[in-house]
Amino acid sequence: MPEIILEHVSKRFEKFVAVDDLNLQIANNDFITLLGPSGCGKTTTLRMIAGLETPTEGRILIGGKVVFDAAKGINLPPIKRDVGFLFQNYALWPHMTVYQNIAFGLENLKWDKARIRSRVDELLKLMRIEEFEKRYPSELSGGQQQRVAIARTLAPGPKVLFMDEPLSNLDAKLRMEMRTELKRLHKDTDSTFVYVTHDQLEAMTLSTRVCIMKNGLLQQYAPPLVMYNDPANLFVADFMGNPSMNFTDGTWENGTVTFGGLSARFTPDEEAAIPRDVVVGIRPEYISLNSEGAYTGKVYSTLPSGMETTVKLDVNGTPLTAVVFGDVDWPVDTEVRFDFTKSALLYDRESGKRITRGKLGR
Amino acid sequence: MTASTAGTPPERSLARTGGKLRAWFSKPANVILLLFCIALIVLTLYPLFSMLSEMFLVHSPERSMVRKMGLKVGDFTTVHFDKLLFTLDDGIGGDFTTSNSWINFYQPLLNTLLVSVSASAIAILFGGVVAFLITRTNISCKKFISGVFVFPYIMPSWTLATFWQTFFKNTQIGLGTSNGIMASVFGVYMPEWFVYGPFPIALVLGLHYAPFAYILIGGILRNMDANLEEAATILKTGRSRIIRKITLPIVKPAMLSTLLLVFASSMSAYSVPVFLGNPVRYYTLSTKMKSMMDTYPGQAYIMVAVMIIFGVGILLINQKVTNSRKQFTTVTGKSGQVSLIDLNAGKRIIAAVLVIILLMVAVVPLVTFALESVIIKAGDYSLSNMTLDFWLGKGLTYLDQGDDTGILLSAKVWKALGYSLLLAVSCALIAGTCGVLIGYGVARRRGSRLANWVNNLSFFPYLMPSLAFGAIYLSMSSKLSVPLGLGVLILAGSIKYMPFATRSGVSAMLQLSGEIEEAAVITGVSWWKRMLRVIFPIQKSSFLSGYLLPMVSCMRELSLFVLLVPTSNTILTTMLMQYSEKGWAQFGNAINLLIIVVVLLINFVVNKLTGASIDKGVGG
Amino acid sequence: MKKLISLILAVCMLLSCVAALADVKETVTGAEALTHDELVALAQAETGNFVVYGNTSRIETAVTAFGELYNITVESSNLKDAEIYTKLEAEVNAGSGADMVMIQDGAQLTYAMEDGWLVNYVPASVKEFIGEDDLLPLVHQYINKLFIYNNLGEAVPAVKNVWELTDPAMKGNIIFKNPESEQVNMNFLIMLTGEEWSAKLAEAYKVWADKDIELGEYKNAGYKWIAEFLSNCTFGSSDTTIAEEVSQETAAGKIGLFVLSKLRSSSVLTDNLTVAQYDASANGYTVEPFAGFMYPMYALVSAAANRPYTAMLFIEYLMTAEGFGPWGKSIGAYSSNVQIPAKEGDLGIETWKATLVMEDPEYILDNGDEVRTFVSKYIQ
Repeated sequence: MPEIILEHVSKRFEKFVAVDDLNLQIANNDFITLLGPSGCGKTTTLRMIAGLETPTEGRILIGGKVVFDAAKGINLPPIKRDVGFLFQNYALWPHMTVYQNIAFGLENLKWDKARIRSRVDELLKLMRIEEFEKRYPSELSGGQQQRVAIARTLAPGPKVLFMDEPLSNLDAKLRMEMRTELKRLHKDTDSTFVYVTHDQLEAMTLSTRVCIMKNGLLQQYAPPLVMYNDPANLFVADFMGNPSMNFTDGTWENGTVTFGGLSARFTPDEEAAIPRDVVVGIRPEYISLNSEGAYTGKVYSTLPSGMETTVKLDVNGTPLTAVVFGDVDWPVDTEVRFDFTKSALLYDRESGKRITRGKLGR
Repeated sequence: MTASTAGTPPERSLARTGGKLRAWFSKPANVILLLFCIALIVLTLYPLFSMLSEMFLVHSPERSMVRKMGLKVGDFTTVHFDKLLFTLDDGIGGDFTTSNSWINFYQPLLNTLLVSVSASAIAILFGGVVAFLITRTNISCKKFISGVFVFPYIMPSWTLATFWQTFFKNTQIGLGTSNGIMASVFGVYMPEWFVYGPFPIALVLGLHYAPFAYILIGGILRNMDANLEEAATILKTGRSRIIRKITLPIVKPAMLSTLLLVFASSMSAYSVPVFLGNPVRYYTLSTKMKSMMDTYPGQAYIMVAVMIIFGVGILLINQKVTNSRKQFTTVTGKSGQVSLIDLNAGKRIIAAVLVIILLMVAVVPLVTFALESVIIKAGDYSLSNMTLDFWLGKGLTYLDQGDDTGILLSAKVWKALGYSLLLAVSCALIAGTCGVLIGYGVARRRGSRLANWVNNLSFFPYLMPSLAFGAIYLSMSSKLSVPLGLGVLILAGSIKYMPFATRSGVSAMLQLSGEIEEAAVITGVSWWKRMLRVIFPIQKSSFLSGYLLPMVSCMRELSLFVLLVPTSNTILTTMLMQYSEKGWAQFGNAINLLIIVVVLLINFVVNKLTGASIDKGVGG
Repeated sequence: MKKLISLILAVCMLLSCVAALADVKETVTGAEALTHDELVALAQAETGNFVVYGNTSRIETAVTAFGELYNITVESSNLKDAEIYTKLEAEVNAGSGADMVMIQDGAQLTYAMEDGWLVNYVPASVKEFIGEDDLLPLVHQYINKLFIYNNLGEAVPAVKNVWELTDPAMKGNIIFKNPESEQVNMNFLIMLTGEEWSAKLAEAYKVWADKDIELGEYKNAGYKWIAEFLSNCTFGSSDTTIAEEVSQETAAGKIGLFVLSKLRSSSVLTDNLTVAQYDASANGYTVEPFAGFMYPMYALVSAAANRPYTAMLFIEYLMTAEGFGPWGKSIGAYSSNVQIPAKEGDLGIETWKATLVMEDPEYILDNGDEVRTFVSKYIQ
C-alpha cells in the first residue's frame, strides 16, 4: 500500500534553499537511499516526508493519501502519517530502560500489557538484545544502542521506515554487520525503507533505488547499478564508486577522442550529438594492464589491498587510476602497457552532463 | 625504571612512590585541585566551623541571659539550643504555640520552608515555561522577552519588593496609612494576603530568581537533542505526553539545580520578607536571625546552621540525581532542525501577556524609582512637586541636614561608585579566574575524589547566608588582627560568589574535549600558554559570563558587606542603606536607580564586546 | 590552620591601614586635665584619618564641620547600634579601627565599657555644665520617641492615657518600630516592667478604667500594658517611614510612637501631625503616665583609636553649642550641656525627663532576657 510521491517539493530556510523542486516516486517495498554530500538536502527531504519538517512548496502523498499540500494547506502531523523513523544518534530516551524505550510507542497505541510484553520480547530477540532489557541507554555500547533504536522503531510495525544515517556512528566492522541485518529486515518486515546516507557504498549495497542529490537538487534517481555504470553527470559519476572514476579532459573529432596524450576510437552506444570539448570518464576497473596493451604509461605508485590492487599510472603527465584483481606489485616507475575494456563515458565539458556511453578502443 | 637498576625492595617502593608523586604533581590539574582544596578548606570550611562553634559559645550581648548561670563571655554552653529548640512551653500555662521555640524558631522555619518552596516552584514554573516558549515555539518578540527576562535578577531583590508594596499598599491593610498607585489611581483595594505575607514574598522571590530557571532549563532545552522529542512524535505520542514523559524528565536535573539555587537563596533572603512580611508580623528564619544576631547571636547561629543543613540536603539530592544511572547526555545531534511548535494566533497573545508581565516586573519598578527620586513630598505626583535637584542640585534646602548636593554632582557618591566598581571588578576577576581554574581541574580529573571535593567546597559559600558569612569574616579578621579594608571585602565577595564562576567554569570545561589541550601538549606548549592561548579563547564567552555574574552580584550586595565595609571605602549599597535609614527617600531611590543602571550598562557593554552574558554564567 | 589564614589574609593587610595599638585608656586618663589649646596641639600632631561611627545620621555634618575647623581629615559612618558594637569588638581585637563613636543602648554600652572597648572622656572645659548622672558614660544628648498622631478626620487619637492605646478598637491604628529590630525600643518596654513604671501604669489604669487593674496571668501592669499595646501595633520598618506614613492625608486615626526629630524631614507632612505631649502641655495636663520614652546618645573614645587626642577634641567640640548645632537646630534633641537650651517650640529636657520613660541600664541587664522572651510572644 505505501507508495510515496513527492511533487515539486521545495524547502527554504530564510534565503537558503535546502531542497529545490524535488519530484520523487517511491514504490511499495522499495529500499530507497537518499545519497549526497552533507548539506545536500537529503535529511531535510526525509524529515519532510515524515512530517518533522514543513515544506515550503509542493505536495507529498503517502499510500495515495495527501499528507502535505502547500497549495491546499494540508499538513498532516507525523502521528497521522504512519511511519517509523530511525535517528542518526538513535535518540534513545536516557531516562528509560531498554524495555521502556521499546514499549513506549506501543503504550501510545493503547495495547494491553501482555501484548506489549510479548511484542517487546519478540523484538528484543529479533535484535539479539534480550539481556539488556533492564539497562539504561548510557550503559550500552553504540551497536547495542543502535539495535535498541531499531527495535523501538520497528515495534509498532510501521509500513514505511525512515532512517537518517543510522550507521554513521558505528565502527567499520559493526557497520558491515548492521548493513546485512538492515537488508534482511527489509525483506522480513515487508515494508518500504527510505534511507539517508552520505556513504555511496552503503547506498550501493543496500538499496533498490538510489536518489542522489546536490545542493538541494535531484541529480539522478535510478537503481544502484544503473547509477554506477551510467551516471547522469560528472557529479554522480564522481560520487559513485571507490576508487572513483578517472576524468580526463579530451577532444572529440571524427570518432576519435584525444586525451592525456593518447588517442582512441570511441564507439557510442547510442546516437548523440557530441561536442568537441568533452570529459572522458573511465572506471578504474575498465583499464586493464597487460603486456599486449595498446597504450603505455609509467607506474606512479601501487596500492595493494589484498583482494585487489589500485595502480596509479602516469600517462604522459596525465594521472589514470586502474584496479587490478589480486595482489600485483609493480615497482615504481615501471613501464606498463594497458587497454580500455568494457565502456567509457563522455561528458559535456561545459555542463558536466552525460553525452553518451560507448566503447574506447584502438 | 627496570628492576636491575633499582636497589633493595623498600628503596624501590620508595622510589616508586616518589616517582608516582612526581608524576602526580607534574599534572597541572592535580596541583590546581590540591591548592584550591587547601584554600577552600581554609576560606569556606574554617568559616563554617567557626560559625558552628558560635552556637556553643556565650557572646557579649548574651551576658544578661547567662548571668545567673555563672557563665561569662566565651564559655561553652548549650543554652542556646535549649532556648531556641527545646523551650516548648511558655512557662505560664499556654500551649505549644505560645512557647519561645515555636515563636522564634519553628514557626519562622515553617514560614521559611513554605516561602522558599513556593518561590522555587514559581521560579521553575515561570522560568521553565518561558524557556520552553522561547526554545520550542514560534512565539513573537523572542529577543525582547529573553533579553528583559534576566532584568529581575540584575536588580536587587528589594527593588521588586518595595515596588510591590508601593504599588499595592492601601489604607485598609498593613500600616493602613496611605494608598499606592493601585488604590489611588485605579481605586482597587487589594486584600492583605495579596500585598503582604507569604504570597507576595514567594512571588517576588520567585520572579527574582526565575531567570535561574530560565537560564538552566532553557540551556538544556536548547542543547537537548530535538530528535528525542521527534522520536516520540513519530511513535504517535501526544503533545502533553511528550512533555510529561520525555521533556520534563530530561530537564529534571536542570529543574533540580534551579531548586537548589532558588531554595538556598530564598531561604537566606532578608530584605524581601522584611518589606512584605513585617507589616503583617510574618517572620522568616532569616528575618528572625537578623534581629537575634544583635541580642542572641548564639541562637542566630543555630538558625544559620539550620539553613545550611537544608541547603546541603538539597545539594545532596541534586548530586544523587545527576550521578544516577539515567545519565543524561544532552549532546546535540542535529538540533538546528528543531521544528517549532506553531502557536498560531496564540503566538502574539502569549507574547503580549509575557511582555506585560516583564514590563511590570522589570521596567515599571525602574520608572517608579525614577519618579520617586524627583518628587519632593511623598505621594504628590504633580509637576509642581517635582525637581531634578536630587540628581543635579546644589545647595539643596529641601532637606535641612547633611547632603545638599544632587547625587550626580556629589563627590561622595562618585567615590562610593568607584569603590563599588573596584570591589565588584576585583571579586569578579578573582572569582572568575578561580572558576576557570577549578573548572579546568575538575574537568581534567573528572570523577576523582579530589575533584569532587573541590567542586563541592566551592559551592558551599552559596549555602551560607550572606549576613552570617559577613559576620564570620569580620570575626576572622579580628581574631587574626587583620584590620578591615578593601582586601577583606574583596576576599569575602570573591569566596561568596565563586560558586557562580565555578559552575560556569566546570560546565565550559566539560564541553571541551581533552584532545584540544592534548594537541597543544604534544607540540610542547607550556601550561600557561595552553590556558591563555588555547583553552580560554575557545570557551571565552562562557568563562567571561563566569566573571560577569559575581560582578553583578557584588554590585548589588548589601548584607554580606555591611559589617565589613571600612568607613573610608563606603560602597553604593551601604550608602543607599544609610540614605534610607536617614529617610532621604529621593536620594535612596536615585542611588538605587544608579546601581541598576550601572549594572545593566556593564552587562550590556560586556555582552556587546565579548558575547558573554549573564545567562551563560549560571552554567547549564 | 591559623598560620595559613594569616598568610592569605596578609595580602589584605597591605590594602588596609596598619597601626600599632596605643594604650588609649592611659592616654585618655592622662589627658583629663589638658586645656583646650593643649588638646588642639596634640590632636593636630596626630596622623591618619579621623574615623567616627555614629548611630545618628547627623554625625556626618558635625564631623565635617569639626574637620574644617581644625583642619583634620575626617571620615564618618552612620551605622546601627548593633553593627557598631559588632564592629567595635572586632576592631578592638584587631587593634585598629574607628577613633570615636556616638552610640545608643546604655545596656549594651555597659558591657562595652566593662570589656574596655570604649573609654570615657569628660572634657575639662565643659565638665561643670554637665549633670552628675551624665558624666559616666558621657551623655552627649537625649533623644525622645513620642506618641504623635494624625490630626485629621473624626476619630483623632489624641491620647491622654496610654491605656487608651490598649483598647481593642485601636487595633491596627498604632505604628511602632518592631522592638526586636531596635534595642532602645526594647529597652523602653523592659523599663515598663520595673517597679516604678508598673506602679505608675497601674495607677493610670485606675484613672482610665475607673477600677483596679486585674492582672490575670501578667506579672504586673507593665507586662499587661506591653501585651495589649503590642497586640494593637503594626510594625513599620523605620522611624522615618512611620513618621511619613502617619502624616499622610489618608492616615486619619493613626498614631505612632517614633523619634520626634523625624518631624524635621521634608517628606513628613508635619501639618497633619500632633505631638501628644505638646497638646497636653498646652492644655495643662500630661499624658498618663508617660508621653513616650527618652534615651541617651553617648559619645566615647574607642579603645582602638589611632587618634585618641582628636577623638577627645571632637568630644569636647560636640559638647559645645557649635558642635551640637546639627542636632540643636531642630526639635527632638537635647544636649546634656545645661548651657545649651532645647530648640524653640520644643519642651525643655526637664519636662521630658518628668514625662518620659528613661533607660536604666542596670535594670535592663537584669531583666532584659525575661522581657524579651515575653515581648517576642506579642509581636508574633
